Amino acid sequence: MSSDAIFQPLRFRSLEVKNRIFRSNIAGRLDDYDGGGSQVRINWELKFARGGVGAIVSSWTGVDERGKIVPGFASIETDERIPFWRELGRRVHEHDCRYIVQLAHAGRQRDVPAVTFGTGLSSTSKPDALHGFEAERATRADLEAIKRSFASAARRAREASLDGIEIHGANGYLFTQFLSSAINDREDEYGGPLENRARLLLETVEAVRSEIGRDFHLQVKISTTEHANAFLPWLGTGNTIEDSVQVCRWLEQAGVDAIHVSTGSTFPHPENPAGEFSLEDMVRTYDVMLSSGKSTFRNYLLFRLWPVNRVMKARWERDPTQVPGRLLPDARAVKAAVGIPVIVTGGFQQASLIAAALERGDCDAVSIARGLVANNDLVELFRAGHDLPPKPCTYCNKCLYNVLEHPIGCYDERRFPSRQAMVEQVMSVYEPAA
Amino acid sequence: MSSDVIFQPLRLGSLTLKNRVLRSSLAGRFDNYDGSGTPVRINWDVKFARGGVGAIISSNAPVHRRGRLVPGFALIDRDDRIPFFRELGKRVHEYDCKYIVQLNHAGRHRDIGDLEFPKGLSSTDRPEPIHGFECERMTRPQIEETVDAFAQGARRAREAGLDGVEVAGGNGVLVTQFLSSAINDRDDEYGGSLENRARFALQVVRAIRVQVGRDFYVGFKISVDECMNEVFPWLRRGNTPADSVQICKWLEEAGVDAIHITAGAAFPHPRNPPGTMPLRDLVRTYDTIAASGRYTFRNYVAFRTWPFSSIFRWQWERPVRRVGAEGINLPESRAVKEAVSIPVLCGGGFQTASVVANAITSGACDGVTIARSLLANPNLVELWAQGYDRPPRPCTYVNKCLANFLEHPLACYEESRFDSHDEMMREALRVYETAEGR
Repeated sequence: MSSDAIFQPLRFRSLEVKNRIFRSNIAGRLDDYDGGGSQVRINWELKFARGGVGAIVSSWTGVDERGKIVPGFASIETDERIPFWRELGRRVHEHDCRYIVQLAHAGRQRDVPAVTFGTGLSSTSKPDALHGFEAERATRADLEAIKRSFASAARRAREASLDGIEIHGANGYLFTQFLSSAINDREDEYGGPLENRARLLLETVEAVRSEIGRDFHLQVKISTTEHANAFLPWLGTGNTIEDSVQVCRWLEQAGVDAIHVSTGSTFPHPENPAGEFSLEDMVRTYDVMLSSGKSTFRNYLLFRLWPVNRVMKARWERDPTQVPGRLLPDARAVKAAVGIPVIVTGGFQQASLIAAALERGDCDAVSIARGLVANNDLVELFRAGHDLPPKPCTYCNKCLYNVLEHPIGCYDERRFPSRQAMVEQVMSVYEPAA
Repeated sequence: MSSDVIFQPLRLGSLTLKNRVLRSSLAGRFDNYDGSGTPVRINWDVKFARGGVGAIISSNAPVHRRGRLVPGFALIDRDDRIPFFRELGKRVHEYDCKYIVQLNHAGRHRDIGDLEFPKGLSSTDRPEPIHGFECERMTRPQIEETVDAFAQGARRAREAGLDGVEVAGGNGVLVTQFLSSAINDRDDEYGGSLENRARFALQVVRAIRVQVGRDFYVGFKISVDECMNEVFPWLRRGNTPADSVQICKWLEEAGVDAIHITAGAAFPHPRNPPGTMPLRDLVRTYDTIAASGRYTFRNYVAFRTWPFSSIFRWQWERPVRRVGAEGINLPESRAVKEAVSIPVLCGGGFQTASVVANAITSGACDGVTIARSLLANPNLVELWAQGYDRPPRPCTYVNKCLANFLEHPLACYEESRFDSHDEMMREALRVYETAEGR
């Protein structure tokens, strides 16, 4: 099959992207603890801009101090951050690549809480089921402040001459904690029926729109199927695709320009990023999170304890051959219900699979994280006629396991001639130094 | 007692400091993982230069990638690091403050190992006794390579226009791992007798001298009393002050310009930094290294589990309960001073002008080095100049700074010293604020 469909430009309402490949949110702790951006992050993003993707969606970009997921990611919570983002955008634009900032609020899902705040805000006061991250139920005043934070952050993205924003409504972060029937236990107008659970997200879209106007690209990422019981069977399933299709319709009405389809009520989640679960890497790196939640110590013990760890591994792991295009049915369902473009993520790295999805109308673009970490020049490889890159991503997820302690990069030694070659690839993000 | 003596210039070989106070090795994980320096580190060091110290001893600067304690500290392992250190020195010199690079190789002591080298190098292949960091016994070519790495590090410091180097020889790093009778178990010419155990250190000093000549400051930091049995009673004590005094005499002969006194053949150690054990902070941050060594997870569990946590703390705090934190190393300093004719610098909890002045006038040392008390009061020297004997909000020796540095910015985390938690956090994050290019 021809891969031409991949290289067709994609027109959003106020943004045009040169092809159908987006770099999805992925990065490491490359910046200063306080959220100040560094040359290293610019180096990171340029790898993908140079590699030919049409647009880059930034990694989680904190809109306020308390909502940061992990220290060491550039944030956008004050006007002082604007020059950094302007420079980053300028450098990415040199490669005819668009830059979309992903505005995120962790809620209670903070892997490594900054020393500045004790607990995260959430829809609920219950800790999360997996790690036991503690939470404080957000008051109405808290929610007003959060909406303002998103609106101000969106204004900063615009002032920095970037090309759009993505509100991170997926993967268990703050908006999922409101959207999800498996998490949200409020009895006020922000909890209960779907309409109430979607209120915070919709009001945030509204607040952002009133700050930046209609002509700045705004997309929302959402976990269309939450699979909240995928790992811990005693939990509820969470939102279904039917629930999420309805949320997407409301988002379209509220003035959102595109939907970005993801999955899972938490991050990480067995379904995202789907693939292998390496116990050895878990034992080596999960230690950083031991003091982050009430259940992390228990989890760490279980990771080390045979045979419980085998059971955990089996429940979490997904067959790598079943990973690519896993979310296409969800994308199709959303696409059928809305008139705005739909972007979908989930293990893409094969040109024919992507082209077929585009031609069938399952989606309008795909977003890729791991596949691009493995092959920064994936799009160029497609253009050169490769269907799969010669050394594809193996979905081993070691990039993810290492991110809290080590630089982001591909850590699958099998993909490199030597360990030294792998380390050099990881360290290349630090070049040039300034 | 008058504190005038603190403000007398101090001659250290070819180097003259404006006063008797040096900022000791102290910093957080402010740099890039790959070892390139950042504006944050410059902000950090400039803060102390502005506060009036005569010289700054850099935080440990590894001379080889394999010798890193933890990622996030600027390395001095390649010539392309020189421009960063040149800029750092230039900024510090604006305050009439000298800059001395502490050349280090961590050996087996690696709080967080790096990607490239799963194991550290050491004189021995036995794991470090507190955390259980694993290691590989150095071969002769590895020893030669490492000696040369120190020499090249010193050359880079000189080329960067800095004012000197200090060989990190105390606190359980690689040089200690050779010096210490509690660690070194070799049976070749680098192990066994004191003379053999000192061979590596002396080779490092001589190799540095060959590279930098006579007119460049070369200091040596040494744990005079190793006191390993104060960490765990079942460990051997290690080198005694008598052993170390002999080593210092040899170092003087080899061309060292000054001796810097510390204690303990491990880091941290009950005598360094002397103070209390911040258990609650440890539980929050020691998790980062739970997978780093054979005993780290055991330790983490012990820190969380009463009564082990209390026993651990009681044992740890014994030496300081007995002799106090401030000036804890003065007896050892005096012993060295009586044996050598080069200047002696002493570290250990100093923050009272009269104590410092008395230490100098009584001949226990020629200058003092300070880490935590300057972290609490970066303008400590100015406060003394204004007539304060102790700062209004002194360091409390609770060691929360140390407990936090692996996960959080290095700063004073003792809330009682601030008006509010917010004020404390503002101070902690200020090091990032003036970063260039923002």
